[in-house]
Amino acid sequence: MNAKFRDLLITSFLAILMGLIASALMLLFLGKNPIEAYGILFTSVIRDKYTFADIFVKATPLIFTGLAFAFTFKANLFNIGAQGQFYIGAVIAVAGSLLLQGRVPGGLALIIVFILTVIGGGIWGAFIGVVKARYKANEFLVSMMSTYVALAIMNYLLRTLLMETKGEYPQTNPLDTSLWLPTFIPGTRLHIGFIIAVVVAILVWILLYKTSLGYRIRVVGNNADAARMSGIDAKKLYVVAFFISGALAAMAGITEVNGVQHMLLQGFNTDIGSAGIGIAILANANPIGIIFASILFGALKVGGTIMGQMSGIPSSIIELMQGFVMVFVILSYFVRSKLEITREKRKLQREVQE
Amino acid sequence: MISLLTRALMMSTPLLFGSVAEVLAERSGMMVTAIEGIFLLGAWGGFVGAYLSHSLFIGIIAAMLAGVATAALYGWICVYLKQHQVVTGTAINILALGVCSFFHRVIFGVPITPLTVEPMQRLPIPLLSKIPVIGPILFHQNILTYIVYFVVPVAFYVLYKTSIGLTIRSAGENPEAVDVAGINVNRVRFSMVLIAGVMGGIAGAFYSIGYLGMFTTNIIGGRGWIAFAICFLGNWNPKGALIGTMAFGFAEAIAIYMQSSGGGLFPNELFIALPYILTIVLTVTRKSFNVPAKLGVPYSKEN
Repeated sequence: MNAKFRDLLITSFLAILMGLIASALMLLFLGKNPIEAYGILFTSVIRDKYTFADIFVKATPLIFTGLAFAFTFKANLFNIGAQGQFYIGAVIAVAGSLLLQGRVPGGLALIIVFILTVIGGGIWGAFIGVVKARYKANEFLVSMMSTYVALAIMNYLLRTLLMETKGEYPQTNPLDTSLWLPTFIPGTRLHIGFIIAVVVAILVWILLYKTSLGYRIRVVGNNADAARMSGIDAKKLYVVAFFISGALAAMAGITEVNGVQHMLLQGFNTDIGSAGIGIAILANANPIGIIFASILFGALKVGGTIMGQMSGIPSSIIELMQGFVMVFVILSYFVRSKLEITREKRKLQREVQE
Repeated sequence: MISLLTRALMMSTPLLFGSVAEVLAERSGMMVTAIEGIFLLGAWGGFVGAYLSHSLFIGIIAAMLAGVATAALYGWICVYLKQHQVVTGTAINILALGVCSFFHRVIFGVPITPLTVEPMQRLPIPLLSKIPVIGPILFHQNILTYIVYFVVPVAFYVLYKTSIGLTIRSAGENPEAVDVAGINVNRVRFSMVLIAGVMGGIAGAFYSIGYLGMFTTNIIGGRGWIAFAICFLGNWNPKGALIGTMAFGFAEAIAIYMQSSGGGLFPNELFIALPYILTIVLTVTRKSFNVPAKLGVPYSKEN
């Protein structure tokens, strides 16, 4: 194991630990015993099969939004709009499913819906890349604002075209069971969306590190000038990168709609976009690392909710934990760069002495 | 129409505080991507201060403290530890959400009825508010709006007419030169982030105690980012920020007006999304930007 990777593992672990300790201390303000509370947190997630499997259910959309941020980040672009791309994906997934159910056999319908979702989310994302490439628009701002537009579109459709037949709430009719993503562990909610997420993460890793497209994306990210001089068309890459990023975030839409909610309702999963950024940071934008970071955030979510039910600790402790973990992870970046510099210095000194 | 414009000006107030704060910091080379979190903690700090002390003045002070504390954490990580500004801002925004929702619960428990404070009253200025048309628009507002009248000219004057302003702008354009002149670049940048924190805190407090008289965790709902966007669209100039802010305040006032009057032909959601669509359109159509050369680039002497 090389020294750099060892640093990464140790500092990340310490950062997570310190983030959890810092939030534990906050529990003292509530007059709760933090050790007891964390005891509940950790034992509750493994108390039964259903709860444990739920960690992976919660991790699934986070893997997608984490990948969405990380992918453009590799090209030194910022896609802050994964939340909106997820909404668009969810809308297409539910609309496509409602349209196809009963007309097309379930498995085929799911595949069609999946393709439609990916393309729709991709186009929504690619718009950011297009205006970046053609008009030099700031992608950070455009992606950020596109989230609010997507939210408005979703809310509009939920109370008009897609509204339930009962017409009571701004939500859709439930999907037919033939369009549910199948679960693969009986007695749990764990659906094949998780497996898709892991496979997609591995594919993204291969795309980034083993293909020429990935190579070009990383070159643009590392040194835009060098990329231009070596004849890489950065503008085209902006569009491609944002298409893929938007498509990744939209996949969270289908796994949540067809895998978990089995309908679309207002105000669900409002924080997976920002959590995805946190996860990408935690994982150093590495697609494989994102799988594990998402599982950690999923566990915090499940455990934090149960902790709230059992010991009267508000579920906002989850956001507190996520926030502290992220801040400490950023501090660990600093520590790592210091360690790296010290190591380089020592190496130089040794070479000089020899 | 007059009431619409009065409302537009009112809704512009926090955006102007926020966008001028952002202009000041970005001119020194620091994007304040934690601005959403600063707004949120300002709104929360302001509410808690005002609720517990029954004094709006204490509320504003608390909001400024909350804003500056958030900004200090952001500034420390970005200026002195030289970490990525977008990434750090995202982390702090999530932490800010956690802090205010958790401690709101710690302080207030689970109240049965929503907690409220009496929001700021409008203070009509004698004589001036009697001027037809512009009187009610300009001089029938709350105290924060009157303060913001001075913010733009003061910020403009300081940035362009004083040596302090020159130092600030140079820290964003050519930090090496500032360093050679014997001025500590990082201290300049950190100070600007703190000032942005104070102003952002006030902006946040406007939403909780200046207008609604209550606090919810989604009270800011992206308006910090709008202030951030206005800074870009206003070309990093307080005057540009003023024009941008008026456009947004007007869009928001129309949205509120249309929602309360049923909306007519167009769906409500269109008006809710209007400020965001406007930002995208302006970002895309704006041709020349005068971006500070070293915006977002940490400064260290070695390079």
